[in-house]
Amino acid sequence: MTTEPRDFGREPAGRLIPWWRSYLVLLGAAWRSQFQYRANLFIMILSGVAWQGVGFAFIWVVVAKFGTIGGWSLSEIAFIYGIRLTAHGLFVVVSGRIFVLDTVIQEGEFDRYLVRPAGALAQLWNRQFYLPHLGDLLSGLVILIAAATEIPADWNVLTVGFLLLAVLSGGMIEGALQVIAASFAFRTMNTRQIRGMMDDIFSNFGGYPITIFPIAIRLILTFVIPLAFVAFFPSAVLTGRSGGLYVPEWLALMSPLAGPLLVLLAREVWRSQLKHYKSSGS
Amino acid sequence: MTGLMAYVGARLEVVDPLGIIHVSELVKDFRRPKRIKGALGGLRTLVTRESVIKRAVDGIDFTVDEGEFLGYLGPNGAGKSTTIKMMTGILQPTSGKIEVAGIVPWRERQRNALNIGVVFGQKSQLWWDLPLRESLQIIGKLYAIDPARHRANVDWFVELLDLDPFFDTPVRQLSLGQRVRGDLAAAMLPEPRILFLDEPTIGLDVVAKERIRGFLSALNREAGTTVVLTTHDLDDVERLCRRIILIDGGKVTYDGDVESLKSRFVQQRRLVVKLAAGVEWRGVGIPGVAESIGDEAVELAFDPAEIQVSELITAVLADHQLTDVAIVEPELENVVHRIYASAGMA
Repeated sequence: MTTEPRDFGREPAGRLIPWWRSYLVLLGAAWRSQFQYRANLFIMILSGVAWQGVGFAFIWVVVAKFGTIGGWSLSEIAFIYGIRLTAHGLFVVVSGRIFVLDTVIQEGEFDRYLVRPAGALAQLWNRQFYLPHLGDLLSGLVILIAAATEIPADWNVLTVGFLLLAVLSGGMIEGALQVIAASFAFRTMNTRQIRGMMDDIFSNFGGYPITIFPIAIRLILTFVIPLAFVAFFPSAVLTGRSGGLYVPEWLALMSPLAGPLLVLLAREVWRSQLKHYKSSGS
Repeated sequence: MTGLMAYVGARLEVVDPLGIIHVSELVKDFRRPKRIKGALGGLRTLVTRESVIKRAVDGIDFTVDEGEFLGYLGPNGAGKSTTIKMMTGILQPTSGKIEVAGIVPWRERQRNALNIGVVFGQKSQLWWDLPLRESLQIIGKLYAIDPARHRANVDWFVELLDLDPFFDTPVRQLSLGQRVRGDLAAAMLPEPRILFLDEPTIGLDVVAKERIRGFLSALNREAGTTVVLTTHDLDDVERLCRRIILIDGGKVTYDGDVESLKSRFVQQRRLVVKLAAGVEWRGVGIPGVAESIGDEAVELAFDPAEIQVSELITAVLADHQLTDVAIVEPELENVVHRIYASAGMA
């Protein structure tokens, strides 16, 4: 017969831990949940690879037909595509299925995130680890590494460092924009369409040199939805094109800062909108 | 600015030293966009910024002492869940003060979370695809509970809630009763000082209900955990709660113990007598006693403040031969129904 532990309930046994530690604990839980279905593992990852592979094959066919697009060769376009897809892969691997926020709110599941001593976003992100996302990341890395060895770039510590920071920043840009859009779900707005639209813009326009589009679209993709900072500007810098762009060169060189800045903005927007959370009637 | 003033005010106020939950002048409004009907209604709803305000909680005050077992009751839509959600940090009040174990929940949500356990009967907080054992391990890490303390607590809960038979089964395969037991263990593992329960026994069979009541009672008695219980099951309340707060229309309509509630709202007791074979009912002849004659027994309703029970029994025995006599106390169920009905709620 087990008896009550001595001093039980005298004072709470828990304490707050840093956000990254709770993130890792929750990530571990999400991983283990997914591994309960072991047979699925490879099929799911493969489906992610196949999906992204088809997307890339389409660009391949187009470029192979015309030789170059807007003065960019096949390997250079693959480089843009590789940065974009790797950045996207990082974002989705870290954030799980942030796309389900509307449902999570409507079904009242969000309540339980708020009664735990951990960030609500970290809990939402680790609600489920979605395996096809690993396929996105894997495809992105393969395309990026293959293209990086093909393009006429001068690889040294500085350029490789710039590339790594640019990829991280690219993932932050997409993540920050998705979080900002998702925040409005707290005002009982349906954010699914706007987030879907953003996802479409990223995957449809993100793999091309932005300069092939008319100036109006270029400006939108730079200053409204800052997609140009994800892969195009870094690629232009690394292939020696940053001098002749439609924006000052320093802006392109600063692209690794765009992600962290947008993340700070997204954090403020998320917090300000979370106050409007109404919880669903029980 | 008003938020800050309210905060300063709460700090300066002299509060009951025993109190662990302080709620005063608490108000919560819900603002919803006004829906415009008719042609292009959907579009006009979007464009106009008009909204409808519904006041769900309308100036609630109460203090809960450490170690109390409080039943927080009211009909659907009375504002119960909204109050609980403000005490647990889920919702931010529109105005008023709220302090739980010295913390303003919505301002310091995560720190408040360390002091409270929350169980929603219909929504599990466990990891659906993982065995209960692993959910408890994850919670241990998330709250950074000392491993020895964690182990001792888990052992105690496994014993008290009989978790052993399904401890290694994925949560999605558990029955409702097993799942609620798992949720209770998960909520209490970090040794919170206050446990909030929203309909914990809903949909459970009698045996499962009993086990959960036993656990809650032990927790409150032995560990001194303060419990706030919302339920429609008044057996839960009669078995567990020493104090009841009734709310309706967002206001407190009763705050006190179960017995006073009964005597305040239902003055009448009933004396049930069974007549011996062949004996006919001839009446007692005491004014103020309502007689209702059934096939097997006669029920006499009376006000114990006016008429002594002994007097009534003597009067009955003077004229009748009986096989059985019983005094029936009002059941909380009936009392609460009567209160809801009199306020036009049921």
